[in-house]
Amino acid sequence: MKGLILKKDNLVPLLRKIRKGGKLVAPVQNRHGDTLFEVIDDLDRQQLDLEHQAQSSLKPFFFPQNDPLATYNCAEDYSFEPVVSAEPTVYFGLRSCDLTAVLYMDVIFSQNGADTLYFARRKEAILISLGCNQPFAHCFCNNTGSGPFLEYGFDLQFTDLGDSFYVEADRARGEELLERWSYFFTPADEDDRKKQYQAVLEARSNFRRTVHVDPAVKRLAADPDLQPVWRELSDRCQDCGGCAYICPTCTCFTIVDQPLAETHGIRLRQWDSCTFSGFTRMAGGHNPVNHAEQAIRRRFLHKLKIDVEKHGRPSCVGCGRCVDICFGGVDMIRFIAMVNDLKLPAEEK
Amino acid sequence: MTMYLPQMAKIVKIIRENPQIKTFVLEFRDKEYNKSFSYEPGQFMMVSVPHCGEAPISFSSSSTRPGTIELSVRLAGKLTGAMHRLQPGAMVGLRGPYGIPFNMKELADQNLLFVAGGIGLAPLRGVINYCLDKGGYGRITLLYGSRSPDDIAFKTDIDLWRKNGVDCRLSVDTATEGWDGQVGVVTTLLSGLEIERPRSSLVCGPPIMIRFLLPELSRMGFRDREIITTMERHMKCGIGVCGHCHLDNRLVCVDGPVFDLAQLKELAVEELGELT
Repeated sequence: MKGLILKKDNLVPLLRKIRKGGKLVAPVQNRHGDTLFEVIDDLDRQQLDLEHQAQSSLKPFFFPQNDPLATYNCAEDYSFEPVVSAEPTVYFGLRSCDLTAVLYMDVIFSQNGADTLYFARRKEAILISLGCNQPFAHCFCNNTGSGPFLEYGFDLQFTDLGDSFYVEADRARGEELLERWSYFFTPADEDDRKKQYQAVLEARSNFRRTVHVDPAVKRLAADPDLQPVWRELSDRCQDCGGCAYICPTCTCFTIVDQPLAETHGIRLRQWDSCTFSGFTRMAGGHNPVNHAEQAIRRRFLHKLKIDVEKHGRPSCVGCGRCVDICFGGVDMIRFIAMVNDLKLPAEEK
Repeated sequence: MTMYLPQMAKIVKIIRENPQIKTFVLEFRDKEYNKSFSYEPGQFMMVSVPHCGEAPISFSSSSTRPGTIELSVRLAGKLTGAMHRLQPGAMVGLRGPYGIPFNMKELADQNLLFVAGGIGLAPLRGVINYCLDKGGYGRITLLYGSRSPDDIAFKTDIDLWRKNGVDCRLSVDTATEGWDGQVGVVTTLLSGLEIERPRSSLVCGPPIMIRFLLPELSRMGFRDREIITTMERHMKCGIGVCGHCHLDNRLVCVDGPVFDLAQLKELAVEELGELT
């Protein structure tokens, strides 16, 4: 479909209309100066922030850190009642990396049957992404094929043209939204399209980092046994799980029972991380993974080797959040550099 | 959350196999579900016990004996501890069956060598009973290692198997008074043993046993495809999503738990050491 133009002055009025029809989630700067995706209750009070990268991704909205699967009763009998909650929600202002991550989660949560809870929320979601004219400090989505702008996958994609947004739809739900609120938009002309194209081109040259993802992927496919790398990074990993929690594509979880009383409780799905020593520990204490040397092997191989084999592309989306979260420097950019710097056995001779 | 919702099952009987192992005979509360439920040798169920979450437990029974299912559980942690305190009549939650089973069609007409250590006999018990009930399999030999004579589990089954022509040979790591059988690790039972082709060996036990057993079986001339084992891992979902049971680029819950040695050699399996 042809592009449309939304004057920036019309953005907040449009979001107000959208919010009246359902839930709205957008990046908001809080009083501490942190930018996080939040449910918008009051557009006058909450400061919409489209200047900074949101520190969190959309992951928690579809796959919450603590997600009740069921309530259980074990008084006289033992039984489970499923819990499902989802409401129509428009997500505005997510970046191309975050959108790509949601599309990846769609694949993960449809393996061996569609995950009821995840897709209940996903089916109610409209995703409006904002391309990145100016990538942020640790961004490398151009090297992971997940930005700075996308060609498909979004319901709507916004491009900042200065005093207006260029708006394009890829999915029916996006088009429906445009039709419903059509009086906010005007058709884009040839000049607007040129400006949009120019913004996309310029964005590609605005990256401050070049991360050689493809060579690392090839290297790992050929030889995933990089003991010196695993050892050094495992040694520096402090077992905090921050990288997995902040990562928009880390979806490993645990399932636990939370008793509320002797007679009943909640079964929760909770975020977990393969870097935790307890992740593979079995009843009785035996652990088939040598944590000291292999703690982070799983994490990086999963993203750059196993997902390439399984799904045809790495599951790192280049958002750079793991760089900021880890004080031990056990992040994707460091890892990729270490892999590419390793001398091949043939070169050592 | 239907995919994670357990079916409730009643414990109809508990058999104490040894000081650490109990076999729970279970019946689904929903009679129709119980009637139509079916599974294959080597598969497992996710078991829920009140306030304890879930754990994977393999079938120790065979679907050739419908009506009830049996899960043999070793007392190891919180969930299994709570399960051991349950009495007949109590309810547990079950979901499954999950996992790739033993390929019983491919094993037809073959002479089968079962090697088990400790609780490792539980999944193989289901396979042996399946073979005996179905018929159409060759000579069956069982080598079973226990820590001590008191630790020998499934004694009733072993007696029955002997009566049905299964060559059962037992060993204990440490003998006590009155034990006149083999003493030593289970691999000592292999010496002098001859299994004619076509043949396969099905092995299950602690990683240390598997680690020493695999090269021994290779030395006896078993081909990699003829050595089949089931792997054990911490699991949460059972359906290939939660990530816990990773084994190199595979997940034990959906790509296993049954693997043959040819498959294992392509993977980095830390607890089994270098497989050559």
